[in-house]
Amino acid sequence: MDSSNDDALDIIITNVVATFRTRCHLNLRTIALEGINVIYKPELGKVLMKLRKPKITASIWSSGKIICTGATSEDEAKLGARRLARCLQKLGFKVRFSAFKVVNVLAVCSMPFAVHLIDFTKNNRPIASYEPELHPAAMYRIKHLKATVQVFSTGSVTVTGPNVQNVATAVEQIYPLLFECRKPLCKS
Amino acid sequence: MSSRVCRTCGGSDIDVDQARGSAVCTSCGSVLEDNIIVSEVQFVEGSGGVSSAVGQFVSADGPVKAPLLGSGFHTSVGKESRAQTLQGGKRQIQQLGSQLQLNQHCLDTAFNFFKMVVSKHLTRGRKTEHVIAACLYLVCRTEGTPHMLLDLSDLLQVNVYILGKTFLLLARELCINAPAIDPCLYIPRFAHMLEFGLKTHEVSMTALRLVQRMKRDWMHTGRRPSGLCGAALLVAARMHKFRRTVKDVIGVVKVCQTTLRKRLTEFEDTPTSQLTIDEFMRVDLEQECDPPSFIAAQHKAKMQQLEQELARKLDDVEGEISCYKDEIETELEKSRPKLRGIYAAYAKEIDPEDAEVLSTTSDPEEPEVEEDELQAAAQHLTQDFLCQVIQEEEGRGKKTDDREQEAGPDMEGVETQRQAAPLAAILGKLPSAASLGLQQTFEESETGEKPDDEQLEGGELDLDGIDDQEIDKYILNEREVQMKTELWMKQNADYLKEQKEKEERIKKEKEQGTYKEKPKKSRKKKEQMEASTAGEAIERMLEKKKISSKINYDVLRDLNSRGTGSGGGSSPSRASSDPPDINATTRKRVNRRRRKKASNANRDLAANASMMGKRVRLLISSTSKKKTSNQTENCVTMTTDTTTEEAAAEGTPDPEPYTNPTPAAPPTVLEEEEEEEDEVEEECVSALQLVGDYGCEEEEVF
Repeated sequence: MDSSNDDALDIIITNVVATFRTRCHLNLRTIALEGINVIYKPELGKVLMKLRKPKITASIWSSGKIICTGATSEDEAKLGARRLARCLQKLGFKVRFSAFKVVNVLAVCSMPFAVHLIDFTKNNRPIASYEPELHPAAMYRIKHLKATVQVFSTGSVTVTGPNVQNVATAVEQIYPLLFECRKPLCKS
Repeated sequence: MSSRVCRTCGGSDIDVDQARGSAVCTSCGSVLEDNIIVSEVQFVEGSGGVSSAVGQFVSADGPVKAPLLGSGFHTSVGKESRAQTLQGGKRQIQQLGSQLQLNQHCLDTAFNFFKMVVSKHLTRGRKTEHVIAACLYLVCRTEGTPHMLLDLSDLLQVNVYILGKTFLLLARELCINAPAIDPCLYIPRFAHMLEFGLKTHEVSMTALRLVQRMKRDWMHTGRRPSGLCGAALLVAARMHKFRRTVKDVIGVVKVCQTTLRKRLTEFEDTPTSQLTIDEFMRVDLEQECDPPSFIAAQHKAKMQQLEQELARKLDDVEGEISCYKDEIETELEKSRPKLRGIYAAYAKEIDPEDAEVLSTTSDPEEPEVEEDELQAAAQHLTQDFLCQVIQEEEGRGKKTDDREQEAGPDMEGVETQRQAAPLAAILGKLPSAASLGLQQTFEESETGEKPDDEQLEGGELDLDGIDDQEIDKYILNEREVQMKTELWMKQNADYLKEQKEKEERIKKEKEQGTYKEKPKKSRKKKEQMEASTAGEAIERMLEKKKISSKINYDVLRDLNSRGTGSGGGSSPSRASSDPPDINATTRKRVNRRRRKKASNANRDLAANASMMGKRVRLLISSTSKKKTSNQTENCVTMTTDTTTEEAAAEGTPDPEPYTNPTPAAPPTVLEEEEEEEDEVEEECVSALQLVGDYGCEEEEVF
């Protein structure tokens, strides 16, 4: 997606997390023993099932709640979730696919310049916070979008938000702020 | 006081008599003051000859304005327990601050922060320790003292990230902008700890310069300042001919060796490192560097690019090599002696065979998987053997030839023709072929039972884009399930054993009848009690459970029976009236202190209020000679006699909130000087008398 300047800024979505419910009780042991790509964790009470295409890892609880992580787009997440449900169906459970919701989207973006974090935090108090003792990035929380942006000094930016649209908006919002505190990289 | 100059005669010789409390001018004899107010401590004698001081303690941090009579009471009562919190906090701050060697000004500021935090209710749900540490760190940051969060976490033995979280939250809520940490702040402190003796200052200066240089070279953003300081100090020490090892420095600076070395190498990469010591002290290079992580990323990208280029070039070169190779092999073929026996069969296999072999493996129609597997395995093993034998006889070209024929499917032997690689490829291919075969058979068996695309009601599973065949691959067949079950059972034997034992235990207990259900976290809903009067409500509640061990319920019941007449009206009204918010918290706190279990707030309020009501009623009935009931408003005296601290704190706040919200029925509660709460309850009868006796004194005491 393009940002508000001439060059396009590539926003790469690295992870989409979604949840859905199967509305039926699942027997984890059956799934664990009859699935080819499952890890059963009885202490935690869940089963991890990994799909190859799309590359998704799902945590399955016996109550029927399932969390899908690892997808690279919202559609992929939905597809993966449906496949998972189909797989469970085939194992013999009366699965219904309900309450599918994308919960979290993680995207990475790289600015063509480095950012001076201390100036950035100074200009944007109190929304931005930077604690080098705790974390190397400055954290900028956009309340109305419910998105969090982590800015690293090299200019790479990590955005987490509830859906892809918010994430894109967050990047567009933060770009001018970062541009102010930029430091042009000396190409050596 | 105009004790300096007499009004009548202007004389300045004034005699002040403390005993009589008068000020008299000695020249003209006119009395200037009579009944001088003295500020001395007075004592009264209590029952049994015990003398106690008259007056109340007012805390320095308590209510700023004097506690007003009547309306002002609930606020000051609320602050009493608040004052306790603040007191405790202040004590902890002093303790922790002295360990950090903070001066008094810092400690006072920290205490102010703490007060703000408490007033914003941010201490709820957090350990006071953490909150105090965060306040102290906030002060350190705003004042710029060289204290790290790590120091605080060391003292408290708490994870530094937990402290950091609390600190960030407080800073955000209090809108305090803590200035960013400058590594330069830490240099003097660390230098001092490294014991450079007289030259400490010089070393510090050098280290400061180094740090500033590092800052300009973008080494400090995103890094812990202590790491930078450590590196700078190490270099500075060496520059001034002090021998400080990495170990010494990391002991002081609290980073790990790897970090320090990394910083040093990063500094090494900057152009400044090339300067000599003198040059460095004099000259400042203009050029700024990129941040080291960026440089590392660039480096990686470059390496990847190089690799790609190399791979491409390799491909080009390989083409050339392969044709040379073919030529060589044909030549060798001609010169090769004929093989006999079983080897002949294999030797005859040439390129057309390869095509066949390829086709057979790609067409996975193997009716009996196991037999094929065995065959393939046997084949490959003999090939292996063959290769070795032939190698000994002929040269390398032979080997590759054979391998090419037998290892038909693995035609990726274009690259370096080493023995290991193709064999590994052969063996590697085996399981994959097998699994492919397996999947195929499974598919076939599945086709019979494959269900139709069902549309389930509500929560339909939309099936487009889902490849059912692929999904079937995810499900194992019978035999595999068995194997997996075995494996899993073996792996998780411990866990299963535990579960079995637990079940047996539960069964046994059930038989014995001692089975205790695991306590569920969900609270049972308490049924609403219906009682016409508060008294009845209390009765019922008391029947159900005994709440406090310190309360003598029998006496309580007696009280109830006594005062049902006049108090019946007042207490329900009080119970029903909603307390103002200010009191809600204090009341709950009081309740919590009294009762061990959390119970329904309303019931508590009703019970409490009614208990208070009882007390009030008692007092009213006892002091009815002095005051009329309900209509008159009398002073409510609050004795904050803290001779017995907890009693005062606990006991005294109780009646106050209850009296105030109801202007209609302002019962006068004369607080007895309670020694103990339980004593009050138990000796209610005698307390009555006490109150009756001390009625006047209570009013005086203010």
